Amino acid sequence: MLEHLAPQIVNGLMLGAFYASVAIGLSLIMNLTGVINMAHGSLLTLGGYFAFMLAAIGTPFAIVLIAAPILTALVGLAIERGLMRPLYGRDPLYSLLLTFGLSLIAEEVYRLIWGSNGVPVSAPAALQGGVSFGSFQVPTIQLFTAAVLVIAMSALWLFLNRTRFGLRLRAAVQDTEMIAALGTNTQVLYMVNFCLGVLLAGLAGVLAATQLGLNPTSGNALLMPAFVTVIVGGMGSLLGALAGGLLIGMTISLMTLFFPAASDVSMYVIMAVILLIRPRGLFGEEGLFG
Amino acid sequence: MNQNRGIFAGLAVLVVLAFGPAIGGRMNIDTSFLAEVLLTAIAAMGVNLLLGYTGLPIFGNAALFGLGAYGAGLSIKNWHVGFLVSILLGIAAALVGALIIAPFLLRRRNIYFGLLSLAFGQVFYFIAYRYSDLTGGEDGMSFARPPLNLGPIHGTVSDTLMYYVTYALFVVATVAFWLIVRSPFGRTLVAIKQNELRVRYLGLNADRFILVGILIAAVYAGLAGALYGLLLRFAFPLLLDWHQSGNFILMTMLGGAGTIFGPLVGAIIFVIGKDVISTITPAWEIVLGAFFIACVLGFPKGILGSIGAALNRGRAEPEEELVPAVAIDQARAKIQSDSVQ
Amino acid sequence: MLHRTISRKTVLKSAVAATTAFGIPAFLPRIGDAAAELAIGLVEPTTGIYATYGEYERAGIAMAVDEWNARGGVMGRKVVTVAEDDANDPGVGVQKARKLVQQDHCVALIGTINSGISLSVSGAANSLGVMFMDSGGHTDDVTGKNCNWNTFRVCHSTWMETHATGVDLAQRFGKKWYLITPDYAFGHSLYDGYVDVAKKLGVEIIANDLVPLTLTDFSPVLTKVQAAKPSLLIVLNQGDQFVNALKQASAFGIAKSTPIGGPQCELEAVEALPVEARVGFWGVEWYYDSPLSVGPAGTPGRKFAADYKKRYGKTASARSAFGYISMDRVLWSMAEAKSTDALKTCRALENSKFNSIFQGSAYFRKEDHQLMWPMLIGEIQPNGTPGDKDNLFKIIGSQPADKVEQTVAEKAKVCTITYPS
Repeated sequence: MLEHLAPQIVNGLMLGAFYASVAIGLSLIMNLTGVINMAHGSLLTLGGYFAFMLAAIGTPFAIVLIAAPILTALVGLAIERGLMRPLYGRDPLYSLLLTFGLSLIAEEVYRLIWGSNGVPVSAPAALQGGVSFGSFQVPTIQLFTAAVLVIAMSALWLFLNRTRFGLRLRAAVQDTEMIAALGTNTQVLYMVNFCLGVLLAGLAGVLAATQLGLNPTSGNALLMPAFVTVIVGGMGSLLGALAGGLLIGMTISLMTLFFPAASDVSMYVIMAVILLIRPRGLFGEEGLFG
Repeated sequence: MNQNRGIFAGLAVLVVLAFGPAIGGRMNIDTSFLAEVLLTAIAAMGVNLLLGYTGLPIFGNAALFGLGAYGAGLSIKNWHVGFLVSILLGIAAALVGALIIAPFLLRRRNIYFGLLSLAFGQVFYFIAYRYSDLTGGEDGMSFARPPLNLGPIHGTVSDTLMYYVTYALFVVATVAFWLIVRSPFGRTLVAIKQNELRVRYLGLNADRFILVGILIAAVYAGLAGALYGLLLRFAFPLLLDWHQSGNFILMTMLGGAGTIFGPLVGAIIFVIGKDVISTITPAWEIVLGAFFIACVLGFPKGILGSIGAALNRGRAEPEEELVPAVAIDQARAKIQSDSVQ
Repeated sequence: MLHRTISRKTVLKSAVAATTAFGIPAFLPRIGDAAAELAIGLVEPTTGIYATYGEYERAGIAMAVDEWNARGGVMGRKVVTVAEDDANDPGVGVQKARKLVQQDHCVALIGTINSGISLSVSGAANSLGVMFMDSGGHTDDVTGKNCNWNTFRVCHSTWMETHATGVDLAQRFGKKWYLITPDYAFGHSLYDGYVDVAKKLGVEIIANDLVPLTLTDFSPVLTKVQAAKPSLLIVLNQGDQFVNALKQASAFGIAKSTPIGGPQCELEAVEALPVEARVGFWGVEWYYDSPLSVGPAGTPGRKFAADYKKRYGKTASARSAFGYISMDRVLWSMAEAKSTDALKTCRALENSKFNSIFQGSAYFRKEDHQLMWPMLIGEIQPNGTPGDKDNLFKIIGSQPADKVEQTVAEKAKVCTITYPS
């Protein structure tokens, strides 16, 4: 059993990095505006489809990794300007309903554009295959995903802590009224925050498309794991998204070793435990949702 | 004056619903969809009590709903119980489920309450899914619809009779709901929603009130679930899934949380709207999604809530429940007993 | 904070809009009213995870409808279809089935993809007294524990799939099998089938990982597979999970080091896989380009495939065949019985041999209403053939139905078909 443990732990870390990358965008949006984005899965899918289109015209993967998220963020911009504004400050359940409506529309639009069957997306040749870790192999694409996550989180951290704009964003999370009173244009803040969240969702979507199937409904399967990750790790914290992702990834991985059928429900059990012991999550801030 | 108008409107709705099958026939809507609307509204009423009146977004309602369906189905399949007994057993199953999760739910409020209920709901879903020897698993469980023997009614329950049974129970549920929210108990729930701390400082055990609220919601959910199972002659795990819970929450908000008939309006939109639109076009998700978005943007308090607010514009806001009615009664009783000494 | 107030005008406008929206159906032409038309109801997914399979089935159905109408319809009446979306929900399936029969006057029902919905619709059709042709729901119970006098099934049962592929796979790839099973009734019945095969052939099932239907990431399981080094990895998952499992198996290098196979693999799923993940030996139920399936040139099967490609621009899949055969047989049963009464048409279908778009003849067995037609096994060709990149399977074997399905005696233990008097 012990020799089976090592690869599962490594795999858990990889899975955790993947879930963390999926959850970060969601956390960012929820944190500032209280918007529960049920369309997050649809945005992941959109990032994947943009990657598919770009790859189809021969774009090198490195460019796809930058361009597809940007395209997704542009769509996010349109959504924010058109639909999100009236929701800020309202009961989060309304954002749930509206974004749920968006996810329905998105699914059908994807079906109309790209068909109901999945489209094949490959990782680039350089990222195919695996890296040997002694007795077991780890797929290169998983290691790459972890690396991208670390880079993205570092960049995000730098942005939030070392730039003036990021400082204002963090201040707005603490006290929106005050920062508005101090003269900051909160509308721009909200817009940038939302688009940043969507950008990260698009990036995660590209990575997901290389490892999972891509079809109009494929992103929806990642919605709940993303939420659970955010809740478990704690909203308002990058470290929380990372910690939550790792915890969930590790749990699913280890459960698959011992009780595979329960690997899905185990993340809900963890969520329940966290909510009962420490509702703000592992690294969350108190009082974010009352 | 306002209240009488509300009662009149409510009675009018109930009378119109009595002609459901006839109206549905003219509008090309199958009777079984109408029954589905009413039972879905019953389940949503339970959600409304917690969400709209107590401020607790319950995201695990579907688990109780599904327990109702499985409770009815399993008892029919294994013990060959009758129609009404199966409904009672469905309600009982939902109550048991609620009693199991309530102690945990009571420890949290707001969105954390909701998420906890979602987590527990998923555990129930997993059980229904996994223990397929008992429940049939994803393939679901089919069972017969027992005949109904009650007074003048004897024999197989046709679609029309099923509608009227559902309608009768809907009327009972609605009247009960109306009485509950007007009662001191119900007003205490509203007080808890407005300021739980103040309620506690007045010496009331808020947890106990919320517990009763959860159990009432469970009765509604279990009843609705049992009726749905009997309607379909089928129970399946998806009934317990968070998507279904989400549907109940969404239709309550869409119709208007905190209103008596909000759940019914929401149920009509969800059940009939979905059916009508999906028949007209395969791209029904676009239409339904756009409709939800329009409702959220256009009706900030849900449909009935916003209409109510519009009709009441210019009148004073209803007074805050400053001191829960129960506390007043208790204080009065204490004063009287004190003055006797 | 922006607060939108609702004017009475808005309320009135919305009320009018809502009434119109819900009143529209009252003005829609009611299909099936006209005595000159024969309405068949279709319960297939147009949304959700199985939408693509529903699409292919409906495409095949449409071809059968057109063929019959070109010959004058059934009993002189034009055949029309009324399709409803089951949205992958058994409750919706039942409600739509009722609607099709009671509102739209459909005289028979065809569908679905999801086994659970097949079961729920089968029950609904039974209570409504109409024939239900299960085109694509594979679970054994449809013609087993839950069999009905009014339900027939076209696609192969899970027993047939496992027993047709099991022999071939054991011969090619040895006797140490690792199974990945989706944790629901369909998966369990596939697993039970392979357990039976393993017992009969002396195969050792070294592990069986039951994974939830919502699992997207198979890497934990594949890590275990890597360590276990089986002689064959059998993947029972379908749909999205199949695509994910194979994509990840390819990333783990398992696709190259370990043979992979299974009882069912759909053309649609392989098309969704990138080239490097297209591997394995799989059960196939019908294939457009194999003499073992559709015969040599000039057969109805070949013609169907060619016409399908011309009409839709896509390659016909097994689902298309299910749809075609289902509609064709439903209509035949009515023409044969000279009636739309299910009691007569169901009896007409039982045991009557027929030829269709596949090699050899077939029949619906009287005892359980399962269509007895050959089951194939194929190897994936990742890039198709020169000139046809969609030709993703090379069919290497075919098993007759009688050899791979449970015997009548075995089935009788769980299924007894009795007609109402």
